[in-house]
Amino acid sequence: MKKDPEKGYIALLGWSLSAVEAAEKFDRRYVVVAPDWAEEYCNTHNIPYIPWNFERLNDRSMEIAETLKDKGVDVAIPLFEETVEWAGAINSVLLNNPRLLGQSMLMRDKSLMKRRAQLGGIRVGIFEEAHDHEDVIRFLKRVNQTLLKLEGDLNDPIHLKAFDKAGCLGHRVIRTPDDVDGIPAEEFPALMESHLDGWEFAVEAWIHNGKIQFLNISEYVTLGYSVFVPASPELESYRAQITQEIEKLIKAFDIEFGVIHPEYFVTSDGTMYFGEVAYRPPGFKVFELLERVYDGFNAYQASMLVFDPKATDEEVAAYFPKPVEDAKAHAGCFGVYPRRRVVSKLEIPEETENHPYFESHELTTPMEEIVTKRTAFGTHWGLVYFVGEDSDEMKRLLKRQEELDYYI
Amino acid sequence: MSSENNGLLDNLLSRFDDAIAKLDSAPTFAKVSKVGRVLDTARRILMQEGGCTAVASRAAQLEKAGVFVGSDWETPAFLIPALTRYSLQSPVAETVIIEALSELRFLGVANGSYVHEHLSAEQARHFLSQVLATNLAMLFTPPSEAERETQGKLSQIPRAVLRHLAEGIGYEHIIDQLIDEIWRILNQRPIQVESAKQMITQIAICQADPNIELAGSGQGADRLISSLYGPTRACREDPGISVYEQRVEAMDDSARLSEASGFARAMHDTGLVSAYHAVFLRAVFEDDDQLMMEALGLTSTGRDSYLCYRTLVKALIDEAVHPQTPQAIYGLALMLERGVLYHPSVAPALWRQLALILSPFSRERLAMAFGEAVSPRSLLLEGVLCMLGQPLGVGQGNNPTCQSARALSMWAYNDPDYLMQMVAWAARDDEIIMHFEGQPISSRESTGGVAETMPMDLDAVSLLVVPHLDRIYAEMGRRCIGREGDPHRWVNPEFHGWWSGRGFRINVDVATGALMEEEEFLRHFYAAYHPYYNGNQPMIHPQPAGIAVTDSAARFIGWHAITLLRVALDTDDVMRVYFYNPNNDSGQDWGDGVVVSTAGKGERYGEASLPFVQFASRLYIFHFDPLERGELARVTEDELQEVIGYLHRSWGKDRLPAAGALQADSGV
Repeated sequence: MKKDPEKGYIALLGWSLSAVEAAEKFDRRYVVVAPDWAEEYCNTHNIPYIPWNFERLNDRSMEIAETLKDKGVDVAIPLFEETVEWAGAINSVLLNNPRLLGQSMLMRDKSLMKRRAQLGGIRVGIFEEAHDHEDVIRFLKRVNQTLLKLEGDLNDPIHLKAFDKAGCLGHRVIRTPDDVDGIPAEEFPALMESHLDGWEFAVEAWIHNGKIQFLNISEYVTLGYSVFVPASPELESYRAQITQEIEKLIKAFDIEFGVIHPEYFVTSDGTMYFGEVAYRPPGFKVFELLERVYDGFNAYQASMLVFDPKATDEEVAAYFPKPVEDAKAHAGCFGVYPRRRVVSKLEIPEETENHPYFESHELTTPMEEIVTKRTAFGTHWGLVYFVGEDSDEMKRLLKRQEELDYYI
Repeated sequence: MSSENNGLLDNLLSRFDDAIAKLDSAPTFAKVSKVGRVLDTARRILMQEGGCTAVASRAAQLEKAGVFVGSDWETPAFLIPALTRYSLQSPVAETVIIEALSELRFLGVANGSYVHEHLSAEQARHFLSQVLATNLAMLFTPPSEAERETQGKLSQIPRAVLRHLAEGIGYEHIIDQLIDEIWRILNQRPIQVESAKQMITQIAICQADPNIELAGSGQGADRLISSLYGPTRACREDPGISVYEQRVEAMDDSARLSEASGFARAMHDTGLVSAYHAVFLRAVFEDDDQLMMEALGLTSTGRDSYLCYRTLVKALIDEAVHPQTPQAIYGLALMLERGVLYHPSVAPALWRQLALILSPFSRERLAMAFGEAVSPRSLLLEGVLCMLGQPLGVGQGNNPTCQSARALSMWAYNDPDYLMQMVAWAARDDEIIMHFEGQPISSRESTGGVAETMPMDLDAVSLLVVPHLDRIYAEMGRRCIGREGDPHRWVNPEFHGWWSGRGFRINVDVATGALMEEEEFLRHFYAAYHPYYNGNQPMIHPQPAGIAVTDSAARFIGWHAITLLRVALDTDDVMRVYFYNPNNDSGQDWGDGVVVSTAGKGERYGEASLPFVQFASRLYIFHFDPLERGELARVTEDELQEVIGYLHRSWGKDRLPAAGALQADSGV
């Protein structure tokens, strides 16, 4: 698409083919900042590219910021959890706003993030940092004492999460001291949280000039397995309340622009608990799901728009569809994990394949026959996509997939 | 079809259209991430009744959207029918589906519903009939246990697609057309007969299977099948090698004589040699020269060669003729018939060949291409005999190496001992050195030929020699960079041999690609080659020439290297040009009524021919002897305009592509 030199010039931090495709088809100039393994591909396909290896922020961090500034880049967008603090550092230079770095560091540390939310008057569960196995056992005991459990009662689980990893990576559910023994030492320090029984969901909110421009609610059917958009009418009935929560979050974290992806629990009495928030596109291809249900909407382009300091309020307002109302169906996806210990081939279950909602999958033939045992919520083997009208059927269908074998 | 099914198919089709649209709108670099959904949806559609029709009707959109981009299927003209068997039986769904989509695309092109830029309807139909031939068994039988195991439900798809193709083309025509096709190819006497053999085997399997209803077609296949599996009375029922060996042991003289003539008849009828023939020769060659000459089917010239060089011939049989290499017999017989052994250097060169120590690299390449049942030296010797016996049977395979194939053919035809020198250097030393304007060019030092990868689909000689020739040819081209005009002017004579005329004429302006000096070019060509204008002088040496290949719609396809062999009157008193085309199949329709003939117009095996007028219209480069350049021929205005008419209606019609590139096109 023809690029408009009057509009912002955008750097994409990290390699995402979908993001590059969106940028290519958008009217803004862009450049991909990614590790050097992307170089050949970018050169072959004439994709504007600057090589950069995103490790921890270090003395050279200014270098990439200066390079981008010299090129005339207006803003940097993080595509992955690992590039969030880089975007903060770079944008603090590009936009001449040192606070942005601090803000991004908050987003990268789950413990700091929770405290900040708490300070902002947002309700969170009980949490603590763990430095070793002892800490975990102590926390598990204390949480269950608080819940007035007796000796021999089944413990309520606690959750253990890495401080700085995206989504479910490194996420473990701990019920007994035996589970604690299974935690490798290198996973510490980590964040521990009490378990909340309730409905877990995520939000994607596009913010421009401190205001929510578009708010999507992503409904989890089972955490780590399945999600669909827009949410069911039952969950959507909380939209006004959820919007208020997001506004609190914007205030607490002082967010002027960008896309945030927070997670919440809503308990049976309608109370919202904040889980965590990320300053980047969500995993599980929620952006792609949104594109599927809102005609003409592209979540990456939307992100470029709200990040762009040169975008006008009118342009931003005109871009977004009406949430839920404009959605033509529900789109969901399911992350497949092999259920057997030994697998030899991929075979989409017949009932799935023949279901009218089944759309496509990105699973591949297995390379190894022995499936490694899953300890934490790990990486799924690929996603299966569904599109359909009825959210109840969508939920049933996504839930049902957990009982089916894709790899046999 | 139930309405529920209809609903499912409609649902899938709307998703399919959506997926195609997404692929279409994606920038090239992002297509790879969209193809999966298209292929997977196509897979589910192809499982439904009516799915093939629905997918086929979207063939043009699919191709335009880029479903084939970046894969071998992107260039349909280069696809090889024999390989479809592997992709259709692949355990990987994507491979099966993309093959299926591609074949449905061919069907659209064949029946005219899809006008394709690089593929004519004839080409497409031709391709599909070969695809069906290669996969005949799948067309008529349910999935085998092995297929069910590797492909599961997927195995329904290749069957559904093949059935759809067969219905599109007409079942009853397939087998008969296939048989005609095999005969047409065999009439050109190619050295490589593996694909013809595979197709014949498929027909034989179908005929033997009581479950397959051929409805009276396939009768003409008997000679083809018997020439491979039962050419004589004692092996009529295909008894197996060891049984036949015992039978030969027990035969009396007259039975042996009848076997010998049976074998010879089958071989010379088809150009195919049965493994039993090899068994027979090995069993009797010690005892009886008469029987041997009978089994080789020799005429008086061949018999005389045989008797003059019987020690050599026996050594050649002992080394080269095995049940796995029966074609060596045909090559040997034709070589004896050509009388080339009387050329003083040929027999000693063959003795060298018999004792040649092959380099490890050569041995490896031969084993990779032909297996290890027979020693690499025997394989190569078989190749040498075939090339000397059938110089016009050399094919370039699916490689852009028409120049190298042409050179091999020309040497085998005109300078056989030079060919064997090349083979020795390549096979033993892994290096060939040729000279270009006095400067040596080593195939080892110059890297980068016209072909980007090492070709594998070649006869044994080409397999070893072509990579060297290709690099040298490309290097000669590189040394002409910066010179004005077409590099073939200098490269052709240096590359092919002293007899290639140093005079050079081209009718295309290299810089602009536009036609130039059309009339002069033609008058000059007539003066040099047409017997009515050159003092009735038959051509003496084969000459390299360049043609503009056009497809059946007379659209330009590419530049191609051929050899001019003879110009003579045919049986209808039409003056024809007889030429060699290194392309594997010379019988091509070049459009506007220009159909290259390969048999029935006075052609010798392997020759292609066209009336002089039509040939001249496709010619763009020829060589001549500058010392013999006489006056331009006073060709009648009518005849000249006829040629120019053909030229302007075909490749001369539009602005022409630049002609500066080397002739690297594999032709079509």
